[in-house]
Amino acid sequence: MTGRRSGRPLVPAYLATGGVARPSRNSLERLSVLTGTDGPLPTDLPAAQLTLLETLDGGSLTVVETAALLELPVSAVRVLAAALVDQGLVVARPPIPYAAQPDTDLLKRVADGLRALKL
Amino acid sequence: MIEIPELAAGGLAAGTLSALFLGGGLLRTRRQQARQQARQHEEIATLRSHLDVARQEVAHATRAFTAEVAHLAQQRIPAEATRAAHPHIQVPGPLHADVDGSELGAGLEDALEGLRTAIAQERKRVDAAARAGMRGATREIQAGLYRLQDVLRGLQQRYDDPELTQTLFTLDHENEQSLRRAQVAAVVCGAWVGLAREESHLVEAVTGGQARLVGYHRVRVHHHLQDGTALVSHAVEPVAIIVAELLDNALRHSSPDTDVVVNLERAHHGVTVTIDDAGVGMATDERAHAQRMVAGKDPILLSELGDPPRMGLAAIGQLTRQFDLSVDLSSPSPYGGVRAVLLVRSHLLSHIDPAERRPAASAPRSTRKADPKTDPHAEVPSRPYADDVAPALPAPRTAPDPYAAAPDPYATAPEPYATAPDPYAEAHTRPDDPAPAPAARFAPASPESAPHPAPEEDVLPRRRRRVRPDVASAPRLTPTAPATPARTPDETAAALGALQAATAAARGDVPRTSADEDRLDSSTPTPTPNASADDTHVDDTTEGNTPR
Repeated sequence: MTGRRSGRPLVPAYLATGGVARPSRNSLERLSVLTGTDGPLPTDLPAAQLTLLETLDGGSLTVVETAALLELPVSAVRVLAAALVDQGLVVARPPIPYAAQPDTDLLKRVADGLRALKL
Repeated sequence: MIEIPELAAGGLAAGTLSALFLGGGLLRTRRQQARQQARQHEEIATLRSHLDVARQEVAHATRAFTAEVAHLAQQRIPAEATRAAHPHIQVPGPLHADVDGSELGAGLEDALEGLRTAIAQERKRVDAAARAGMRGATREIQAGLYRLQDVLRGLQQRYDDPELTQTLFTLDHENEQSLRRAQVAAVVCGAWVGLAREESHLVEAVTGGQARLVGYHRVRVHHHLQDGTALVSHAVEPVAIIVAELLDNALRHSSPDTDVVVNLERAHHGVTVTIDDAGVGMATDERAHAQRMVAGKDPILLSELGDPPRMGLAAIGQLTRQFDLSVDLSSPSPYGGVRAVLLVRSHLLSHIDPAERRPAASAPRSTRKADPKTDPHAEVPSRPYADDVAPALPAPRTAPDPYAAAPDPYATAPEPYATAPDPYAEAHTRPDDPAPAPAARFAPASPESAPHPAPEEDVLPRRRRRVRPDVASAPRLTPTAPATPARTPDETAAALGALQAATAAARGDVPRTSADEDRLDSSTPTPTPNASADDTHVDDTTEGNTPR
C-alpha cells in the first residue's frame, strides 16, 4: 500500500465494476462499515470483488477507506460492496451517527480519572 | 587548170575521208556515251529502287517506333503507375516481341525504371507529408483527450451519485476508445506513443489495454505469471497498445457471444501474452499479410492501409520494431479463430514487489498465488521458519525454471530472483527477522519479497491480512510454538499493555525497587524463551488487571 502510483492509472475505474455504477442496494454510504465474513469464496468472483475481500480480510473498513486502499472511486466500491453483501460475503453496518459517538472530552476525563486511580 | 578540180576532188575526198573518220569516231563515242548513259540510268534506277526500299523500311521502322512509344505512353506507363499502388497489376510488354532484346527495348525499359523510381520517391514524399500532418493533428487530439480523462476521473472521485457516475463511466469509456484511436493513428504516423508511464505490473498493462475496447466484457484474462512480474517503464504503453489492438481484432472478428481468452505465461525468453478468439479466423494469405504487417520489417505507407485505413496491425508493426517486441499471428487458434502471441523479452521485464505496490484492483489475480491460499494450513505464521517456509520456498521458485536457470538479464535484476538460496535461508532462520509474519504469508507467492521484509509501519490492509490465518489455522498466539522470531503488532501491543499493567500492579503493591520490577517482568512468563507464550501469559495478566 506504500507505493501509491504517481502517474495516470492504467486501468480505469469502470473496469472494476464492468461499467456498472448503480449499486444493487442503496444502503451503503461513505462511512458504512464493511466487514468480511468467513464464508467460502465462489470461484468465479470478479477480480475487483476479490481484491476488496482481500483488503478487508476478516477485518472492518469503511467504504471510503476501502476506496482509498483500492484506489477506486467511492461509487465503484459501493457497487462492489453491494454485490458482495448480496452474496453474503460482506456484512455492511450503517455508519455510527455523529451524536452516538462518545464525546472526546468525556473520554479524556475518564482516562485522567483512571490514571489518578492507578497513582 | 585541171589541177584545181583534182585538187578539189582530192581535197574533197580527203575531207570526206576525214569526215567519215571523224564521223565514225564521233559515232563510236556517241554510241559509247549512249551505252554509258544507259548503264548509268540502270544504276540510278537500281539505286532509286534501293532507296525506295530503304525509305519504306525507315518509314516502317518509324511507324513501329512511334507505335511503341505511343504504346509506352498510353498503356505501359499508366500500368506501371497503377502498379506502384497495386502490385498485382500486370504491366504489358512492348507491342512487338522482337523489340524486347533490342536497343529500343532497353531504352523503353530504362524509361519505365526511371518512372518507377520517380513514383516511389513521390509516394514517399506525399506519404511523409500526410503522416506529418496527421501526426500533428492526432498529437493535439491525444493531449486533449488526456486532459478530458483527468477531468472525468476527478469527477468520478468527487461525486458518488450513481446516475452521475454511470454517465461518467460511460464518458470515460468513450474517451478511452477515442484515445486509443488517436494514439494508434499517431503511432502509425511515426509518432511516439505519447505517454510516459512508470514501471507497472504486466497484468495491469493487459487489463488497461482491455479497458480501451467496446467489448471488454468478453475478454477473460488468465494470469499465470509470478506475482509482481512487471514491465519496464518505456514498454508499458506499447504493450498496452498492442494488446488493445490484438484484442480489438479478436473481438471484432468473433461472435458477440463468445469469449476472447488472454493467457499470460512465462516463456524461456520472457513472457508471452496469448490472445485466442473463437471467431472466423483468417485465410492463409490474409494471415501472411497480417504477419508481414505486425513484423514491422517493411516501412509502412499510409496509402497502403486501405480506405478507411486499417491501422491496428500497422501500429503493432511500428511498435514491435521500435521496442523489440514480437507478435506472431501465424498459427490458427485451437478455438478456430486467430491466435496472437505477443512475446515480451526479458530485457523489457522487471519486478515490482506486490506487497509494496499491488496491481490495480480490477486486474486478475495470479493463479500461482492460489496454491498457498487454498491450503492455508500449509504455512502457519507462528511456526518456525526454518521448518516451515524454507521447504515451501523452492516450489514456487523452481517451478518457472527460467527464473533460476536462465542466464538472461532478468535473472540478474536487482531483486535476487533466486540467484542463490542462501539469502532466503538466512533471512528465514534469523530469529529476529523484523517482519516475519508478512514475509511468511507472502513467501510462497513471491519469494523474492522475502529479502525485503515489509516495513513495520505498513499500514492497514496488511495488518488486517494477518488476522484470518491466525484465527483460522492456529489458536491465537499458541503457547506450543517453540519460537517466534519476532513480534506482530498485536503481540507488541499486548506486551506493552502487559508491561504497563504489571507496572501499575506492582506500584499498587508494596513499593519495590526497579530491579524487582525487572525481575517480575522477566519471571512472569513460562520458562521457555518463547515470545508468543510470553505474550499469551501477559495477555492474561492484562485482562486480569485492566478492570482495576
